[in-house]
Amino acid sequence: MKKTTYIILFLISVPIFVVLYNLIIPSNKNWTHIYNYLLKDYVLNSLKLIIGTGFLSAVLGISSAWFVSYYEFPFRKQFEWLLILPLTIPPFIGAYVYAGMISYTGSLQTFLMKYTEFNGKSYLFNIMSVSGSVFIFSMFLFPYVYLTVKSFFSKQIHNIIEVSYSLGKGTLETFFKIVLPLARPAIVGGTSLVLMEVLNDYGVVKYYGIPTFSTGIFKAWFSLGDINTAIKLSAILLLFVFSILYFEKILRQNKSYATKKNKPIKRRKLKGIKLYLIFSYMTALFLLSFLFPVLQLIQWSIFSFKNTNIKFIELTFNSILIAMISSIVIIILALIISDTIRFSGKNTVILSKIATMGYSIPGAVIAVGVMIIFINLDKTLSSLYAFLGIKSRLVLTSSILMLIYAYIVRFLNIAYSPIDSNFEKTGKSYHEASRSLGKSFFITFLKIDIPIIKPAIISAFIFSFIEIIKELPLTLILRPFNFDTLATKVFEYANDEMIHEASVASLTIISIIFIFILILRKITGDGK
Amino acid sequence: MKKIFVVVLALLSISLYAGMFGYGQGGEVNVYTSRHYDTDQKLYDEFTKLTGIKVNVIKAGEDELIERIKNEGSDTRADLFITADVGRLHRAKVLGLLQPIVTDVLIKNIPNNLRDRENYWYALTVRARVLAYSPKRVDISKIKTYEDLINPEWKGRIVVRSSSNIYNQSLIASFVAIYGEEWALNWAKGIVNNMARKPQGNDRAQVIAVASGEGDIAIVNTYYIGKMLNSSDKQQVAAAKKIKIFFPERTHINVSGAGIVKYSKNRENAIKLLEFLTSKEAQGEFAKANYEYPANPEVEPSELLKSWGNFTSQGIDLTLLGEYNSKAVEIMDKAGWK
Repeated sequence: MKKTTYIILFLISVPIFVVLYNLIIPSNKNWTHIYNYLLKDYVLNSLKLIIGTGFLSAVLGISSAWFVSYYEFPFRKQFEWLLILPLTIPPFIGAYVYAGMISYTGSLQTFLMKYTEFNGKSYLFNIMSVSGSVFIFSMFLFPYVYLTVKSFFSKQIHNIIEVSYSLGKGTLETFFKIVLPLARPAIVGGTSLVLMEVLNDYGVVKYYGIPTFSTGIFKAWFSLGDINTAIKLSAILLLFVFSILYFEKILRQNKSYATKKNKPIKRRKLKGIKLYLIFSYMTALFLLSFLFPVLQLIQWSIFSFKNTNIKFIELTFNSILIAMISSIVIIILALIISDTIRFSGKNTVILSKIATMGYSIPGAVIAVGVMIIFINLDKTLSSLYAFLGIKSRLVLTSSILMLIYAYIVRFLNIAYSPIDSNFEKTGKSYHEASRSLGKSFFITFLKIDIPIIKPAIISAFIFSFIEIIKELPLTLILRPFNFDTLATKVFEYANDEMIHEASVASLTIISIIFIFILILRKITGDGK
Repeated sequence: MKKIFVVVLALLSISLYAGMFGYGQGGEVNVYTSRHYDTDQKLYDEFTKLTGIKVNVIKAGEDELIERIKNEGSDTRADLFITADVGRLHRAKVLGLLQPIVTDVLIKNIPNNLRDRENYWYALTVRARVLAYSPKRVDISKIKTYEDLINPEWKGRIVVRSSSNIYNQSLIASFVAIYGEEWALNWAKGIVNNMARKPQGNDRAQVIAVASGEGDIAIVNTYYIGKMLNSSDKQQVAAAKKIKIFFPERTHINVSGAGIVKYSKNRENAIKLLEFLTSKEAQGEFAKANYEYPANPEVEPSELLKSWGNFTSQGIDLTLLGEYNSKAVEIMDKAGWK
């Protein structure tokens, strides 16, 4: 078991080391060109996107969590879970829908031109811009902040807030002086999730024409055919990621203020203008981040449904199959690793760091590393292939294995975290009892450890399934030939300006994620 | 648990085998293409009827296809590579992915200036990069050439897409070939000065910008106008009807084309298919699919294209567009063309 774990962890970290190692390879003229003319744009745009999205999604997430936690207004209960729904829409799909909606030929302007003096513009707002992208990312990712902050509010600090009120402090003062500082770890945790998604994104920035590291990596690799330059960009991007993680650590300083007695929260009743404002705000947020885009997609689907063909069934099948296989493998690995690590005692921190590293690394970077490994593997194994009578020398690079491996590297953390924290909760006593009765580690692992944490396993499966169903950059680069998923097809259609044709596949992705989120809420009680 | 292990192992091995399907045994040809028109498939079916050769098609983005063929090396299954833009055809040639082919039929079907200098690729369709202007706001008699676009008169009135787009790269490359680097850089700077807005969107978006009054002149490929006029989207049609097309003197043309892959396993079949696609019978349909001009001079363009009138092209060796591509990219980045 222990050996297996070390091997798994080694395999997971290889792609990242490959990228870092290649940094010392001398640069060529492509790199010089990018360095001279484009790098500044990549750095600046990526920074602007991170800062803008970080700020906006934090504001949206904190405010909405605050309102549903501490105030009473009509449909409060519904809003509480409606605001999770934007997570069902991958940002790149949101980007296509919004651009289509407000374009010259879109529904909004058509309406305005019909009934007003308005003459039309290519886009009603300049959405194809950095600020437009910030809007898109924030709209579809703020629930990460909302969820972490909301669960913090529900568990931890309402007693402190009540004390503050009883001492005669006003709402605003309480909020800024007490709530925000206390909630900092939750806010930083949620926001850094959002930022990782932003750095990983390729779909939005590609469509909106924003030069960032992701588009730069793709450009260097596919337009210039230069994997070395792609690696150089990847390595710089990694430095970005590591500094975000470092800041997160500093900002978190895990202080927790859990109060023992969990009294039910006393929500304040809203009246008059405040009620009106808060209710409108929540409604607008839900409409913009979920309902409008989905309705627009449904309308387009009706337009284009007749062109949907048998290929589409195959796509859906592909997507579900690969997400299924990868998730199962990911769960098994996560179980093995987390069970070993908790009994190893030594180096626990370092080992679990390695296990959870992949999620913070952008897909395009992992793709670079994985591709290089597999090309070299195929070279090494070519004599074996010949011996087995296989004609091709590209067995691994043209197989789906490469893609699955990349998914494991990137998404292991998503399964590992819930499983690991659940193991922590259950403690080691059952395991140790079984061992003292003479059962082996492996038998104990199968018969005791796994059944105990079944709910966590199911949640972990759902998390990784959702991530894989909507994954774009990795899949685009590493998928075998003639293998499309729903996400890659949507991307292709959208970039061929066939936005209507992309809608059926988009809705399918959204529906699948939606169903899984419902199941998740069933399992965990109320989706906390 | 054990069962799950077995299932996973089984699935993994199945997916491994999926990567090892054998190659075709005669009577096949594998096409790697970045075109995705239903009419193409009809032509392939026709070819199969004529010859009995089965056509397997793999569609993907052009850069992706090049990268694939490169990585597959001598093991590639690709026989015929079809893509848009000379720049990419040339890249495939330089990377050593294609082989030169000369047959009487091909030489007869495709004129000198529409094939690679060393016959590594042959054009299948021709498109022109032209001006789409608003007849209300632009007196087109003031423009004769591309150079006239950098006159101060057009400041804040020109819309064009980004420099990462290969059509713009080829346009600039053609200027480098004809007038030299300095001229091309000066032109690019002039265009940047005269832009109505930062480059954004694709060619259709430029036409829409002119239709909606954000710009007065757009630089676009002819076939986008055709696509818009025939769009299922009423608004697109309306936008395309608001503009007129102007062919500058020495109009810049570009092609989509095909070459036989260097390590092709079905070389003879691939040549047959290429001869078929350049033939009189196929050319009209092949060009019509995307509102383009046929590469075979014996074939008439469609009615729509005829209605736009005739033009004289730059008349340069198209191979040069590929050769100067990286120069063009550098020039645009220097000029600040985003």
